[in-house]
Amino acid sequence: MLSTEIIYKIILILAVFTVTLVVALYSTFAERKVAAVLQDRYGPNRAGPLGMFQPFADGVKMFTKEEFIPGNADKQLFILGPSIAMLTCLMTGAVIPWGGDLTIGDYIFKLQVTDINIGILYLLGVVSVGVYGIMIGGWASNNKYSLLGALRASSQMISYEIAMGLALIALVMMTGSLSLGEIVRQQDEGLANIVYQPLGFLIFLVCAFAETNRAPFDLPETESELVGGYHTEFSSMKLGFYLFSEYINMFISSALIATLYFGGYNFPFQHSLGIEGNALSIVQTVVFFGKIFFFIFFYMWVRWTIPRFRYDQLMKLGWKTLIPLAILNLFITGIVIGFKNGFFN
Amino acid sequence: MITQYLFYFLTFTAIFCALLVVFSKNPIYSALYLIVTFFATAGHYFLLNAQFLGAVHVIVYAGAIMVLFIYVIMMLNLNKEVEPHKSNIIKIAATVCGGILGLVLIAALRETELGEITEYSNNGIGLIEKLGNVLFGAYMVPFEISTVLFLSAMVGAVFLSKKNIH
Amino acid sequence: MILNDFFIFMKQELMLLFIIFLLLLIKVGKDRSNESLLYLINLLLLINVIAGFILPGEGSLFSDMFRTNPLIALEKNMLNIGTLIISMQSYSWLKSHKHLLEFYILMISTLLGMFYMISSGNLLMFYLGLELSSIPLAALVNFDLEKKASSEAAMKFILSSAFSSGLLLFGVSLIYGTTGSLAYAEITSHLSTDPLQIFAFVLFLAGFAFKISAVPFHFWTADVYEGAPVAITSYLSVISKGAVLFVFVSVLYTVFKPLADVWYGMLFVLSISTIIIGNLFAIRQDNFKRFLAFSSIAQVGFILVGISGSSSMGTAAVIYFVLIYIFSNLGAFGVVSIVSSLTGKERISDYKSFYKTNPFLSWILTIALFSLAGVPPAAGFFGKFFLLIAGAEKGNYLLISIAALNMIVSFYYYLRIVKSVFMEPNESPIESLTIPLISKVALYICLLGIVILGLWSVVYDYIFTLSPIF
Repeated sequence: MLSTEIIYKIILILAVFTVTLVVALYSTFAERKVAAVLQDRYGPNRAGPLGMFQPFADGVKMFTKEEFIPGNADKQLFILGPSIAMLTCLMTGAVIPWGGDLTIGDYIFKLQVTDINIGILYLLGVVSVGVYGIMIGGWASNNKYSLLGALRASSQMISYEIAMGLALIALVMMTGSLSLGEIVRQQDEGLANIVYQPLGFLIFLVCAFAETNRAPFDLPETESELVGGYHTEFSSMKLGFYLFSEYINMFISSALIATLYFGGYNFPFQHSLGIEGNALSIVQTVVFFGKIFFFIFFYMWVRWTIPRFRYDQLMKLGWKTLIPLAILNLFITGIVIGFKNGFFN
Repeated sequence: MITQYLFYFLTFTAIFCALLVVFSKNPIYSALYLIVTFFATAGHYFLLNAQFLGAVHVIVYAGAIMVLFIYVIMMLNLNKEVEPHKSNIIKIAATVCGGILGLVLIAALRETELGEITEYSNNGIGLIEKLGNVLFGAYMVPFEISTVLFLSAMVGAVFLSKKNIH
Repeated sequence: MILNDFFIFMKQELMLLFIIFLLLLIKVGKDRSNESLLYLINLLLLINVIAGFILPGEGSLFSDMFRTNPLIALEKNMLNIGTLIISMQSYSWLKSHKHLLEFYILMISTLLGMFYMISSGNLLMFYLGLELSSIPLAALVNFDLEKKASSEAAMKFILSSAFSSGLLLFGVSLIYGTTGSLAYAEITSHLSTDPLQIFAFVLFLAGFAFKISAVPFHFWTADVYEGAPVAITSYLSVISKGAVLFVFVSVLYTVFKPLADVWYGMLFVLSISTIIIGNLFAIRQDNFKRFLAFSSIAQVGFILVGISGSSSMGTAAVIYFVLIYIFSNLGAFGVVSIVSSLTGKERISDYKSFYKTNPFLSWILTIALFSLAGVPPAAGFFGKFFLLIAGAEKGNYLLISIAALNMIVSFYYYLRIVKSVFMEPNESPIESLTIPLISKVALYICLLGIVILGLWSVVYDYIFTLSPIF
């Protein structure tokens, strides 16, 4: 009864899910290795050749710890918090174009779970809802430090959402469409969007760092100030969910930056290499993942290089610097598009 | 067929969660049920092919306004002991008034003869391109005036939050 | 050319927008002294008033989202004059206030919203104008940040106004659902006495009645007027009410004409209860602002009597009365504002023997109260006279006689104040106040308005010629 399309979509969803989890898993390992390189030490190298099985060791550790819910904590919200965090970060993978089309027999299989024509709005919506995971977790812990961490996290995330949205608007103005597949296709015909929107790219990058609570914006979970921030009281798999969702967010953000500003799965001179069809699609997917891994490395590089912001500096940056810059970007983009379309003759 | 099931499911969710918003004792639970109500309403918008409206509904209501609500509830730490007690008479009077309003509305709906429902032949309705054209064409003035509204609301809000340094 | 039309028709709104942006830029720039800013702003408002009289056009823009004709231009000019007078009267209060620029930005935004509300031809634009005129007012009501009474008043105001806007919007959406359009012209052709449309109209009326504080919807008035600073109270009672009354008259007579029999009965009940309750409660008040709140509720009752008569005489009578009401109410409020900002006293019992120390102010107060009561030859008498004649068009003499009887009751509480100002002894009367020149000019303008409007018939004839025949 199920048609080919539905079976294919289910397989694709499972594949995206698995790849996301595996990449996030090894990101935890890569983080420690990158930190080690930047700090001139070895990093984990015991659990297998070059420490390759370290993530599995961490996973087993997480599973076997005691699940502890504090006495006065709100039980339902306590379990709901990490669940929402995990849910929202996995949902974003549905609209990202992972590669070109595969033609097998008569069917064309797109390597994108759904190409809705409001793709960017979907992304903004999921990012907005993702704030709740942290807020509810922080509140449910019934702990002053968690609450402070949750409040800081939520105010930071909603402040930087605005600048992110504004930077994306300039991009959409240029492209004329909200769907991610269309944006990638247009970067195939022209140049990558970073050439047209350098300021927008910078703003989006900074906001992506803020939205994923990565350094230098990791005030909500700073060990030196807030014990553990919003995940102080969580243990075992719930803590695992929180930490894991941060890495999945990092992976998805890198994928988004690569898609929106760096051409997605396209690479220069891809049509003059002589490979066609399915082989080209597979090469494109590999190139896409290469871009993603570069950005993940960039995230980690920045974390171990730059000190973190103070809360008021963070708010000032979000509201007084990024938003005016994003509006300026919008203005300039509008004028340039106006000239190109002949409105000022 | 499947849209009909979806419609009933979303309606049931919306009404049930809206009732839970009013009846639940914990204010955070009320806010969370309100978020679920907003999602159900957004689902209705999607069923009517208003894609932009549904997505923006989620982003603005469930993603920004409710975050601020929950922020305030967390900061003020509201719970049942702090709330002022209202006498039973007021609760009964309010229920009666609300019930009468609902009764009159239902009676009016029953008596009304609906006009003919003309099917729109324009398949692009609700899509974001059409919405953009209309918003910057025929409805330009309300659009610009709403920006003045936002500006003055911001000025008012910033002013209200200024502390007096005695 | 379309662009020319745009600038000519919308010139008042564009001027207000220019003033708002200028004030915002000044706020961002370096600090200047309050006095120079006040002179600048009052000068700008004066230019605004004068420029409004030039070139009133007639036409509609943007597919009926914005209409203008000489009557609408006249209404906007009246609101402009009222705002200028309020601004001049609150000079002494604002001179030492930290947040001067926010005051004017918010107030002019509300004025802009009222302008758009008056000249809208579409329910969407009307609702946006209504919201633009009420949301900044909530911040303005709380303008004295230190006083707790202000915060309480602002809380009551915003909660009730949000709720009533929600009801009004429900009515608007039901009207859209049953008629298929939001434009005034098309709604009228589809309206009939359908139960759902009557229900929608009732909700619509509830929203309006809240704004003009008609009786079952008046509970917010007294507390908000008492808690707000005097300038905002005068703004609320005169300008906000006047704008909503203008829209009410035009919407009721054009859009809801098919429902004329329905709203006649509702206005009958509303007007009687408003006049009676307003009068009864005004008798007992001691706080001057609260007293003026209830007196303005009673005045609205009279206006509703005039509206219920329908026809063009109703429109002319209402507009004429609002003009007189602007001058008389602002005269009374001007005195209260000066006394309140210079001495802080707001109770009627503090005004005993006011005549001995401040003869000028007590004369202004007396003439303003005479006009509000309806004592000839002050203009208030002529205003109420025309309202009652307009109300009698439908032949409902019960309504007119109740209104006339209540006028006698209102004489009591207005003249009680005059008596205590002139005749009652007081050990510690209010000391002799030096009024700043600007406020003196404003009080003279009010005095002139009251005296001239009743006797110089050109004004009423002009308004009557502008009122369309419905």
